[in-house]
Amino acid sequence: MTFAHPWMLLGLLGALIPVLVHLFDRRRPRQVPFGALSFVLRSQKRTASRLKLKRLLLYTLRTLLLLAVPLALARPEWAESGVARAVRGAAATVIIVDTSLAMRWSDGASLFDEARKQARAAVQDLMPEEPASIMPCGHGTVSVAPLNFDRARLISSLGELKPSYELADVNRCLDQAAAAMNESALANRRIVLISAFTQGALRLEASPPVSTGPKGEKIKPEVVLRDVTAGRALPNRALVDVRAEPAPQVGPRAWQFAWTVRNFSDAEARDVELVLKVDGEAVSKGFVDLAPHGTAQKVMTYQFTKGGSMLVEGQLTADGLAEDDTRALVLAVPKELKALIVNGAPSPQKFRDEAFFVEAALSSTGSPVRAIVRDADAAWREEFGAYDVVLLLNVEAPSSEVGGRLVNFVQQGGGLFFSMGDRVEPDAWNSVLGPVLPRKLRVMKTAVEPSAADAATRAARLQNVVSTHPIWAPFTGRAREGLLSTRFYRYMLFESEAGQDVEVIGAMDDGAPAFLTARKGRGRVFAFASSVNRDWCDAPIRTAFLPTIQRVAGWLSGTLDEHEQIRARVGEWVTLPLEQGMVPTAFRDPNGTEMAMTRAADGSAVTGGPLLMPGRYQVTLTTGPSLGFASTIDPAASDTSRWSADELAAWFGEDVVKTAGLGGPSAKTPLWTWLLVLGVLLFFLEGTLLRR
Amino acid sequence: MPLLDAQTLSKLKGVKVRARAVVDGVLSGQHKSPHQGQSVEFAEHKEYAPGDELKHLDWKAYGKFDKFYVKRFEHETNLRAMMVVDTSGSMAYGSGALTKLDVAKVLAATLSHLLVRQQDAAGVCLVTGGTVREIPPRAAATHLAVVLDALEAAEAKGSTDLATVADQLAEKLPRRALVCLFSDFFDDRADALQRLLALRARKHDVAVFHLVDPAELTFPFDDPTLFLSLEDDQRIEVNPREIKESYLEEFGRFLDETKQACTAADVDYERVRTDEPLDRVVLRFLARRAGGGRP
Repeated sequence: MTFAHPWMLLGLLGALIPVLVHLFDRRRPRQVPFGALSFVLRSQKRTASRLKLKRLLLYTLRTLLLLAVPLALARPEWAESGVARAVRGAAATVIIVDTSLAMRWSDGASLFDEARKQARAAVQDLMPEEPASIMPCGHGTVSVAPLNFDRARLISSLGELKPSYELADVNRCLDQAAAAMNESALANRRIVLISAFTQGALRLEASPPVSTGPKGEKIKPEVVLRDVTAGRALPNRALVDVRAEPAPQVGPRAWQFAWTVRNFSDAEARDVELVLKVDGEAVSKGFVDLAPHGTAQKVMTYQFTKGGSMLVEGQLTADGLAEDDTRALVLAVPKELKALIVNGAPSPQKFRDEAFFVEAALSSTGSPVRAIVRDADAAWREEFGAYDVVLLLNVEAPSSEVGGRLVNFVQQGGGLFFSMGDRVEPDAWNSVLGPVLPRKLRVMKTAVEPSAADAATRAARLQNVVSTHPIWAPFTGRAREGLLSTRFYRYMLFESEAGQDVEVIGAMDDGAPAFLTARKGRGRVFAFASSVNRDWCDAPIRTAFLPTIQRVAGWLSGTLDEHEQIRARVGEWVTLPLEQGMVPTAFRDPNGTEMAMTRAADGSAVTGGPLLMPGRYQVTLTTGPSLGFASTIDPAASDTSRWSADELAAWFGEDVVKTAGLGGPSAKTPLWTWLLVLGVLLFFLEGTLLRR
Repeated sequence: MPLLDAQTLSKLKGVKVRARAVVDGVLSGQHKSPHQGQSVEFAEHKEYAPGDELKHLDWKAYGKFDKFYVKRFEHETNLRAMMVVDTSGSMAYGSGALTKLDVAKVLAATLSHLLVRQQDAAGVCLVTGGTVREIPPRAAATHLAVVLDALEAAEAKGSTDLATVADQLAEKLPRRALVCLFSDFFDDRADALQRLLALRARKHDVAVFHLVDPAELTFPFDDPTLFLSLEDDQRIEVNPREIKESYLEEFGRFLDETKQACTAADVDYERVRTDEPLDRVVLRFLARRAGGGRP
């Protein structure tokens, strides 16, 4: 038994008051001559024994009252060291140790270390004839070891327990523990639950555990709750999300990161530092204010100096649960692209020049493309392999030798862009560049003469744009409306043959393809059915033109796909798509430890997991740079809001739940309230006796 | 009609004055002339014969019938009444204006007064312990003063021994008499009352005035009290609150048993609270006796 205010026990001396009063109270009674003295004497004799008992009772009640009050004020608590023995007789026991992320919370000593101590104490509390097992409770499937009597093995197994980075499913663990005891011949069942009792880990809307007895009867196991928090609140704040977007307005390779910070505690947090790190180096710093249980967003911008796969981390000032104060993502920063623009119709007047608008789009602020413009003759002398993308703008069909080099360029992984115009001769193109064309060219169609008075209304317009294609991903809302309102006066018709890996990602209102994509060998091809100057359409002066050209260049070079981040959470399995020719050699976790991986039968993907910790995972390839992604912690696991002892007792059932543990209020039975009740009762009895 | 309460009587000095006041109260309460209490009443006429009292000649009848007629009167039987007053120590108790003995004296004096007034004989018997001081009953008006003086001089002291007194009274009252007992009947001897009531068996007309103090009825004590005996050195320290219930039960039973014993013995029983108006007590007593038909 412990006392919150032990000095109050001095008040116990007050219990001597009735004795002292009895010994020293010598008040002189009033003398009264009285005629009916014989009746007084008779009454006294008659009531003597009853009065003696009453006085004794009064003395006892007053003494108890004077003992109960200071004892209650000292706030005694009964610490039940041998809680495991609360069940009458031996009980089959499963000790569940919560391994959820919240158990990593620490204020010097981690909750999980405390959990190990509690588990050890629970094992030591077992009676020799009680079979037991220890069950780590995480998110995934856990098998319960058979119940046994080997205490040394149980205790040694505690050393192997580790906290996870996930939200444990304690309800499932309770059910599994109850089921594991079904085989026991003992009628009594006990579950010792060692946990921080966070609200995310334990759902009180579910049913409490029920075990099945030897005769098939339902048994509600006794539940011993060991609270590792000792009744403390667990204040925590966490980075729960990050959204990364290119910020071309800032410059090439500039990105914007929107971090979401949540406060899981009852206290306000001001000026919480958030550091942005790139590949481990702090590059930016900001501060956020958080209301109690509030959420804040902090936007940070950074311009990468080079392209490639980057590890970007946000890091809050560490608190009790440091693991969720850092959040990472692996970002594929577009590398600088080199593009060769083949100008088929140069003009001294810039706005009439075929390449003017494309060059302007690719050279704009924030564009990762470095464009070089050549007329056709000069371009055919270039080494295409030195470029990532080649754009053929209204060019006459090249010689078969040049055509062969272009086909080879695409087959080797290059990107080829075609746009139409007066100089494009369908038959010549078909014969020279047929192998890399998505579809063969048929004939030019004139929807309306551009000079006609009603050209604006009769011009063809886009109707079907495949919004799911990466190129069109940003075109939503008004941007999409702007794209669809482009007027086309003339455009090339394609043959309608169906080719493999050919996709029409945009069509005119008459159904003719406007944009076609195709994969040829390791390269990609994009065909635009109209011109990139204003001769055949007004696309170049539309706001959609610049992003379209930039994204087309990105898609052709393959960098657009890399921008799609892989979002993976701890505990999950992740599948990474593989390009042709990619052969994975190792799947490594953030510590560099190799993990098991499974490659798809067709070699198009590789799967690995479960991801046990947050951070950067890498898949190394036989050729080229490795693939990377970051796994993050489920925000629900960061929620350290706890159930109260009363709520837990109500859910498990007052009749079966018991509390234990070290130091915490929930681990002790407060007695002072009962003492106060006893005191009031004694006072009432004393008053009743006095009146009688 | 103002009645004479104990408070008023206590302001009057002496038994004589108090008794006189009560007598006046009783008589005025009856709404009768004090001279109507004659005990001689006209019965019949008879012819005069030598030797008859001439003063009894009815001159009106002579004038009417020309014969001498003599009025014949029927005299009531002369009543001998003995006022037996308990003067033991317990009679000295009084929580109010008058002690039980004071009340007993006034009542005895009043009755004596009324009896002598109607030419009955009245005597007094003062008893304490086992001793009896007797003044025999006489009808003379001068005798009343002797009775009242004796009552005046009586003091409460000594123990109560009514049983012995009963024996002595039986010897001292050879003729049939009215015996009025004024006592609280606090006698330790269980047969005391029965022996007193045995006077009834000797053809005496017995009336019991049971004197009770209000404090004895209600036991209005709270704090721890040392009760002192009025008859000896006995003393008891008790917490009155603790025994009050039991006391009231015992005392109530005593009152009931006393009354039942009197009723069973065909004895008039009058319980007298020392704080109630005494003329009312006397009137109540007289009314009961008139109704009962006994002299």
